[in-house]
Amino acid sequence: MAAKKKRSPNVDNDSWVTIAADSVVDAQKNDSDPTFVRLRNPSTGAASLYVLGSGDLQLYEVKAFEEDFHSWFIGQTVQRDGRLVFITPMDPLFLIVPCLSKSAKEGTFQPLDQVVMDEEFSACSRLLKCKSALASLHHIAEEKEVETLKFYRFSQDKTIDWLKKKVERTVTVLKKREICVGEGVKSTTYVRVKPAADHQEEDYLRYAHGLISEYISQDLSTALLKHLGLPQLMSPKETEPPAKKRKISEQPVEAVEDYTKFNGADFSRKPLKKMTAAQKTLAKVDKTGMKSMSSFFSPKVKAEKK
Amino acid sequence: MSSNATVTRLCASSVDHTQRAPVHLMPCEIQSNGSAQVSQFFTATTKDHKSEKTVSFRGRGLKGQELSCPQGYTGLVLKEVHKPSSDQEDRTVRVSSVFDKLTYWNLETPPNSDDTVVMAMDWPELAEGVRVLAFILLH
Amino acid sequence: MDLKPFEENNSVSCRLTSQIPDVCKTEDCCLGIDEAGRGPVLGPMVYGICFCPVSKKEDLKDLKVADSKTLTEAERENLFEKLDEAISYIGWALHILSPNTISTSMLQRTKYNLNALSHDTAISLVQYALDSGVQLKEVYVDTVGPAEKYEDKLSQRFPGIQVTVRPKADSLFPVVSAASICAKVARDRVVKGWNFPEDLGEVDVNYGSGYPNDPKTKAWLLKYLDPVFGYPQFVRFSWSTAQSLLDTKAVAVHWDDDEEDGEKAAQRQNNRSMLSYFTASAGSSDHNPSHQTHRFFSERRLKSLDTL
Repeated sequence: MAAKKKRSPNVDNDSWVTIAADSVVDAQKNDSDPTFVRLRNPSTGAASLYVLGSGDLQLYEVKAFEEDFHSWFIGQTVQRDGRLVFITPMDPLFLIVPCLSKSAKEGTFQPLDQVVMDEEFSACSRLLKCKSALASLHHIAEEKEVETLKFYRFSQDKTIDWLKKKVERTVTVLKKREICVGEGVKSTTYVRVKPAADHQEEDYLRYAHGLISEYISQDLSTALLKHLGLPQLMSPKETEPPAKKRKISEQPVEAVEDYTKFNGADFSRKPLKKMTAAQKTLAKVDKTGMKSMSSFFSPKVKAEKK
Repeated sequence: MSSNATVTRLCASSVDHTQRAPVHLMPCEIQSNGSAQVSQFFTATTKDHKSEKTVSFRGRGLKGQELSCPQGYTGLVLKEVHKPSSDQEDRTVRVSSVFDKLTYWNLETPPNSDDTVVMAMDWPELAEGVRVLAFILLH
Repeated sequence: MDLKPFEENNSVSCRLTSQIPDVCKTEDCCLGIDEAGRGPVLGPMVYGICFCPVSKKEDLKDLKVADSKTLTEAERENLFEKLDEAISYIGWALHILSPNTISTSMLQRTKYNLNALSHDTAISLVQYALDSGVQLKEVYVDTVGPAEKYEDKLSQRFPGIQVTVRPKADSLFPVVSAASICAKVARDRVVKGWNFPEDLGEVDVNYGSGYPNDPKTKAWLLKYLDPVFGYPQFVRFSWSTAQSLLDTKAVAVHWDDDEEDGEKAAQRQNNRSMLSYFTASAGSSDHNPSHQTHRFFSERRLKSLDTL
């Protein structure tokens, strides 16, 4: 038998199988075409692909089902790329929160167009055209009107309340879809002991919190967890497997490569813009021996890891 | 990787005059893009027993089932007709075919609700849950 | 011999049988087993049994049955007619293993080799005869493999029956010759009248003997090679002739068990969900090494894209 052909990289892909919300291509409302744009992912800080609907009125996120060894037959064609791309509506506030919270450090009310922007991702300012976002800004910010102009200041308390409602809504859908939220392996060979009802409720809350955390910074995620009345887990074994635990680190991650472009990795990253005088002073202080704030909240596993 | 500033326009008007095409998610990587005699070799030999389908591909037995797009969603196959020469240029994709259900195939294993692609179909409804604004929900 | 049940769906295997002579249910019987079409890269492999009362062995000899390979096609057809007419004391049954069954079995995750497939088919036919009330006392089997081991296997499976497994049994025992004629006639007829389930239009039936070294067969295999699908189901994909032609002339296809040996495949079947769970987050393209996607997404193999 001849030797099996080696897999070669699929470099010339020009076709994608997608499942998209009907509104993406709803011809009735189209005055302009929807566009795929790259924006900063609020959780990872890295570039992610989104879709801005016609007239930028609607935001969608793009996620791909991707498993090795798949291809498509489409009509009378074969497509090597076996991914299935989902284009689902997303709340634009999730992308506005990091813009507002970043500027909140200055503590002043600011006009939106000066805040909702990202030098790296020029499409960011188009979020301001999302009607639903403008109408619901009060969920995440305090509003001040001076004559005809509106000014905003990020409110963490409001945002956390808003996020809590998201978590609750997500729990409802999780239950409706009967999605397995319990810890451990989903497997027919491992029968899980049925937990008490309240325990199960906590499973749902934690699971929904984890999902919402895909859309917010680590700091907000930690604050939200506290607000939900869920203690930080003492041992990752108790719920999420260790691999799923996020690293909570106040120390800047040592840069192996130049990540200045995509330094989205860590939310303790330096502010992109100038530091305040106080911050500068703080930055110069020798922090060795000081305990970071978050270390009080972080799980003990960190200490065990050595 | 293209620049962060470039966009890809989805030519939405192309949907109207697009044909429906059957789509099959195969449990193998076929190292080819382009035409294939799907109806002659594949569709013609597919057997239906209740909801389970069987066929073989390259001498291997497959079992499959149909999967509908979630409500409010449509399957769109996007195609980039003209690839720009540089990664600084905007791109355009068109809808080359549409579908409202797909058939996914497992290698030998009967299809079941634990199959990852079936589970992945949970996502649109959950995404809706994550998105929907809280005030709408508080009936 | 009515081949319709097989021709209606030649993707799967099929059993064809004669009526059971009444005398076979009351008298001690002997039974022969032989196969046809083991070697060819095209078409089905047919297993045949023939049985008659031990007391009628001489009558069988008088029909002048002989090893099917020493006979011409016309002689075989002629002899089959005679066997079929002797319904008062001779019965037969055939098991047609479709080429698609052969391909998918041999290429299965947990490989099912041709010998095992052959043995299981032979056993199922003997069991059929027993279930039909045939008073079996002696079974004669032709084999290409080691006779002793096979004989032990069959003796254990059918206690109380005297099993004789011999190479070239088809030329030694008339009841085996009869079985070989039934099998060979069925195989020839099926190949000749093969109904391609694929939508190929008019198909050139000049495929020669079907043996890999026959130039006509080789030419046919080249002519009907499709770069994506390979071959019609008429071809045994598991044959090295077919495989090596595909490896050079067709597009590469990769399966998740390409690199697996049998042991790993068995493991996969037992631990499928365990394995998939642990590999869930592997292959994620997240930029952030410390960011772990929530398991809702990793379990569903969903990830964010950064470019289309």
